[in-house]
Amino acid sequence: MLHYIARRFALSLVTLFVLSLLIFFLGQVLPGNVGRFLLGPDADQQAVEMLNHQLGLDRPLLVQYGTWIWRFVQGDMGESYVYRTPVVAFVSQALLHSLKLAAVAFLIVVPLGIMGGIIAALKVNRPLDRIISLGGLTATVLPEFVTAILLILIFGIWLRWLPISAAWPDGAGALGQLHYLILPAMPLVLVLFGYIARMARAGMIEALDSDYTRTAVLKGLPWRLVIWRHVLRNGLLPTIAVVATQTGYLVGGLLIVETLFRYQGIGSLIFNAARGRDFPMLEASVMVIGVTYAVATLLADLLYSFLNPRIRMVSSR
Amino acid sequence: MTRNIKLLDTFRSNLTPIENHLVDGYLYGRVGRREFLRHGSLLGLSLPFLGRVALAAGFGATPSMARAGDQPGATIRVALQAPTGAINPLTNGDEGGIVMAQQVAEFLCIDGTDRVVRPCLATSWKPNQDGTVWTFTLRKGVKFHSGAEMRADDVVATFDRVVDPQSGSNARMVFKGVLQKGATRKVDDYTIEFHLDSPSGNFPYLVSSANYNAVILPASYAGGFEKTWDGTGPFRIEKYTQKVGANFVRNDDYWGSKSLPARTEFIFFTDIQPQILALQAGQVDIINSLPAVSGVALLSDPNVDILSVNSAAHQLVHLRCDVEPFKDPRVRRAVALCLDREKLVKGLMKGRAMVGNDSPFAPVYPSTDPTVPQRKRDVAQAKELMKAAGLENGVQLTLTTMQYLEIPEYAQLIQGWVKEIGVDLKLKIMDWTSYVGDAALGKSPWLDATMGITPWYHRGVPNYYFTAALMSDSPYNAAHFKSEQFDTLTKSYFATLDLEAQRAVAGKIERLLLDETPNLYGYFYNNLTAVKKGVVGVESNAMHQLFLQNAGKA
Repeated sequence: MLHYIARRFALSLVTLFVLSLLIFFLGQVLPGNVGRFLLGPDADQQAVEMLNHQLGLDRPLLVQYGTWIWRFVQGDMGESYVYRTPVVAFVSQALLHSLKLAAVAFLIVVPLGIMGGIIAALKVNRPLDRIISLGGLTATVLPEFVTAILLILIFGIWLRWLPISAAWPDGAGALGQLHYLILPAMPLVLVLFGYIARMARAGMIEALDSDYTRTAVLKGLPWRLVIWRHVLRNGLLPTIAVVATQTGYLVGGLLIVETLFRYQGIGSLIFNAARGRDFPMLEASVMVIGVTYAVATLLADLLYSFLNPRIRMVSSR
Repeated sequence: MTRNIKLLDTFRSNLTPIENHLVDGYLYGRVGRREFLRHGSLLGLSLPFLGRVALAAGFGATPSMARAGDQPGATIRVALQAPTGAINPLTNGDEGGIVMAQQVAEFLCIDGTDRVVRPCLATSWKPNQDGTVWTFTLRKGVKFHSGAEMRADDVVATFDRVVDPQSGSNARMVFKGVLQKGATRKVDDYTIEFHLDSPSGNFPYLVSSANYNAVILPASYAGGFEKTWDGTGPFRIEKYTQKVGANFVRNDDYWGSKSLPARTEFIFFTDIQPQILALQAGQVDIINSLPAVSGVALLSDPNVDILSVNSAAHQLVHLRCDVEPFKDPRVRRAVALCLDREKLVKGLMKGRAMVGNDSPFAPVYPSTDPTVPQRKRDVAQAKELMKAAGLENGVQLTLTTMQYLEIPEYAQLIQGWVKEIGVDLKLKIMDWTSYVGDAALGKSPWLDATMGITPWYHRGVPNYYFTAALMSDSPYNAAHFKSEQFDTLTKSYFATLDLEAQRAVAGKIERLLLDETPNLYGYFYNNLTAVKKGVVGVESNAMHQLFLQNAGKA
């Protein structure tokens, strides 16, 4: 098991290194001049060149990369070109926000999706299965901006039950913050519900149809125990992998939801940094997402191998 | 009403010949009331004085800027486009940054809602006879929020800083060929003189709020505005959070009438749609800047008042005069004749714009010559011009532009219209940074494209459009238009102080530009501000600046 963890960890480090190269050098090929962007089209060329020099943008690319990555691994994310303040404050704040929103969405959608999948599998090809499957599929294919605007119109503008901005007031406690996060979490729940429910349903149907389930039934185990001990444990394995792969999306891919609900998450931080050629902010944010994603998939793999000994055995060979 | 000749004579006895010529123009109907007020204030005549002249002339009193008259102490909440970077009044060029600085800091004069320049930190101003020296008298008893009194040293330092090539200020382009470092001189603690490189008849606009970087800061200012927010304005900073918003409170030491709201809250957004939803949900009272196209849902909303200010802001279509097929002015005129300007105003801009006549002389400028014929759509004539230029079989072109407001839709309309004269127009739409590139020839799609569309903000006077984009040595002359005659006329326009003389030169420039057509000015769009019903006293100007000191809730 230790060997497996070490291998997975090393693989994550390689992934992050490749990601750092990609984000740094792809950032450089974005058209436009940082100094010109920051000072505006009317600024003097002399001032633009001076600013580029101050920011170190006139140094060779490899030197810039080396300096950045060396500082980054030491915990120094650099200073924002745009805001002239350390990036770490923005990134940590945005990451915290994104994690909060992701947590709320996860806490709602994972039990709901799994439950939906289990019910659909147990009532396979019956009306309830059709409703869950079709309803989930419909919710998944609807773009987030459509569901988000619909939810805002219904709950924010017509009924006025929930605030349409996810930015809670200063000093709001956990419950107060939750009140502001419910509406933004709903489009994510709708997007993910169908996906998780379908995976859970498929895994469950396969497990229900397996020999070990038939054996457990035939040896006289109570139906509930068969489901709990044998079907769920095996049937939900693919769902765990699916949930883990959605972490990156939930933490860093919520640009539309963050924009519509005016939420300062890391998705909009990345988008605005790319748009504003704020490379230190862009690089740090992407790397943080990369680390989050790597940690989530590592944890999922560990959980998967814990639940499924065959994985451990294969990997240890 | 009757005319009081004796009183008029008394008023006129102290006026300069140029000022008297303006009064003559008003008395004999050559100059309208608005132009009289606007140009009179530009020359340094106070609005009360102009009002007394109007009364004596039998035209009635001038309107006054009234306060809301509602309960003071309200909290006004504003949806604002998020500033694109750190707030630095010296270099900010985006709406968010400009509005933030303007909440706490002020200008020598204000280019207001009615585009009449009014005293603010300067109480009066006067040009010398040829307009090369402008003397400004500063208001006494004005305090910065830090407690220091504003004096001439602060104003001199402000303008020296603004025109310094190292500053990176957008205002440098405004002062190009007009004001240099060291040319702002202190006469005494409350009087300064601007010694100009060349005569300028519109100079007060260059030091007004219309030149948004010319905000008066303490002489000691050395950057880091977000730490001090030290200005002279009616509001003080309470809290500023980058990317989130800002709160301001009433400045009880303000030199003028104390602001009615006790507090203002600015909430930053990165897109217009959430701003509209926030207004509809009652979470904000004002959307500072509402684009007509994407804000159409609010234009007819009975719960919302739309403040619409005519401006000179436009989407400039350039046609490169130094490359084929636009080397031939007939081809440029042919393209211009395809535009259906009425449709642009009524359809594309939902009636919130004014028709353009292919010159930067927008209808809002008093110096625009109203006798110049308006260019109208004429496809038959356009086809004849194409035939005369040897292009009757058509031509393939690319229009390069950026994703901003209604520009993509405008480009598509042009694409459809020019097809009728055989122009197969491909569209290349980029993001802002890619389009601007290095803003230098050979390194910028904006300046290199054969045909392009570029947004230009409003300016109090058209001077900036000439120095930046139209004169032979203009750095952003995307049309690559070079004309000695045009340059001479433009310099003459800049130097003219008298309104009717300005109009005469403007007329020549407008006719020349119609003939040459290096650029298309299809329409000039209004600045729209959406205000929730019941919120009164909100003032916004054509520069998107927002004045909330008289705002209240009914």
